[in-house]
Amino acid sequence: MFHRILVGLDGSDGGQRALESAAELAGLCRADMLVISVEEKLPAYAATVGEVEDEERYEHGYFQQLHDEVRRLIESRGVSVHLEVVPGHPALALARLAAERGCDLIVLGHTGHSRLHHLFLGSTADRVVERAHCAVLVVR
Amino acid sequence: MDSNVWLTAAAWMALALLASLVSIRAGISVALIEILIGVVAGNFLGVHTTPWIDFLATFGSGLLTFLAGAEIDPDSLRRHFKPAAAIGAVSFFAPFLGAVAFAHWVGGWDRQAAWIAGISLSTTSVAVVYAVMLETGLNRTELGKLILAACFITDLGTVLALGVLFANFNAWLLLFVAVTAAVLWQLPRLTKLVIARVGHRVSEPEVKFIFLVLFLLGGLAKLAQSEAVLPAYLVGLVIAGVFVRDRVLMDRMRAIAFTMLTPFYFLKAGLYVALPAVAAGALLIAALLLVKMGSKIVSIWPLTRLFRFGQREGIYTTLLMSTGLTFGTISALFGLSNHIIDQAQYTVLVTVVIGSAVIPTLIAQRYFEPPRAQPVTEPPPAGLAVAAPVAEA
Repeated sequence: MFHRILVGLDGSDGGQRALESAAELAGLCRADMLVISVEEKLPAYAATVGEVEDEERYEHGYFQQLHDEVRRLIESRGVSVHLEVVPGHPALALARLAAERGCDLIVLGHTGHSRLHHLFLGSTADRVVERAHCAVLVVR
Repeated sequence: MDSNVWLTAAAWMALALLASLVSIRAGISVALIEILIGVVAGNFLGVHTTPWIDFLATFGSGLLTFLAGAEIDPDSLRRHFKPAAAIGAVSFFAPFLGAVAFAHWVGGWDRQAAWIAGISLSTTSVAVVYAVMLETGLNRTELGKLILAACFITDLGTVLALGVLFANFNAWLLLFVAVTAAVLWQLPRLTKLVIARVGHRVSEPEVKFIFLVLFLLGGLAKLAQSEAVLPAYLVGLVIAGVFVRDRVLMDRMRAIAFTMLTPFYFLKAGLYVALPAVAAGALLIAALLLVKMGSKIVSIWPLTRLFRFGQREGIYTTLLMSTGLTFGTISALFGLSNHIIDQAQYTVLVTVVIGSAVIPTLIAQRYFEPPRAQPVTEPPPAGLAVAAPVAEA
């Protein structure tokens, strides 16, 4: 049914639930998994290059550690997985990468942001649904 | 409360902590948030500076300038020197002359105030450019490195102008120039020696050595009515090669700066922005922003074509080089502190500088972003193709 599933992983509980659902689905469909984490909190309008570099290093370290655990979890289920960290806006990056890599399903957690953020800016899931070229599964 | 140093320090550190938390949450630079919190504190909470805060702020701006100079990649600058020098020089002179002319003849500012306007608006924010390029992976390409090298040249123009235009041409200036030249000549060797002999100890002799140099040259600059950021930037440039190889030293300097010094500088920079003057000067603010962006576009874009950038990359580069933040605020605060400009003019300049950090970045990212380069982690396996990297200049 699905051949390549992209999962957005941000370290939140919602992202973790999305990962588990995607791994289960990939096992059933014998699909590949592409797990993407987006470094979204790099400081915009920084004063020094170092400020950006430090923040990037922090986020990168966090996601690398997370990815090590995720790789073990998914490969133990016999599913082929590739993991990447990319900088940028989460919704734009996920929709773009899904199209570029020929993914036919994007799986996301329902929300990783606060209610206030949701009220004014909407969720990442909303924006991915708007922009994606393929099916999107939002896991609650 | 001013007589109680501890409570004053607590109030300022509370503002700095608040700025850090908002910055982390919002994904916006702590510097920009500190300026905005400073604006609120100055306009609504009656917060003002004291002599010791002024010193920390001044040292913060100097150390920030030093770090900016030390962040250059010397090899990259050497490799791209010709196009970087051409783009960087034009990127300084065009907005400088444009803003001086506009502020003097249209805005009615006196000659020296117009110079401050020119210097403040001539800058390019290397950090803003770097952050934007990081998102596309452009920072790892030759084109990205060329753009960053050009930004350093522009900022060098800014600090040179700030250091020279208002200096007294007398014996003190001669002494300042002579001592600075001698120090810059020997500094890379001496810094390496200090690090090799006594470096990376708990008493941090190498950090103290660099602070000593900054204080000494800053003091001589002050005697010559020049500006301490000039030697600070030059010191950073000449020992950038040492810092490239010693990340620990860089991290320690940055930790000192961002914890205890730059918050005082950026909060202070925001403190003097008078909100009524923003409303009163709205037209002038918009016009000066257009002058800055327009002059950068008119001057840099043709050069990007000359150096065979793609059309999209050329416009993207031009817009990124229209950004400004740190040196813009440093120049404006220099003008205010030395009574060259008044608070209303300072407000206009800082508002334009903040606008120039945000608006060109948004336009560049929204409409002219070049194709993506590689992701920041491992390359994908066969079958998971990525977009083609950006063509190199």
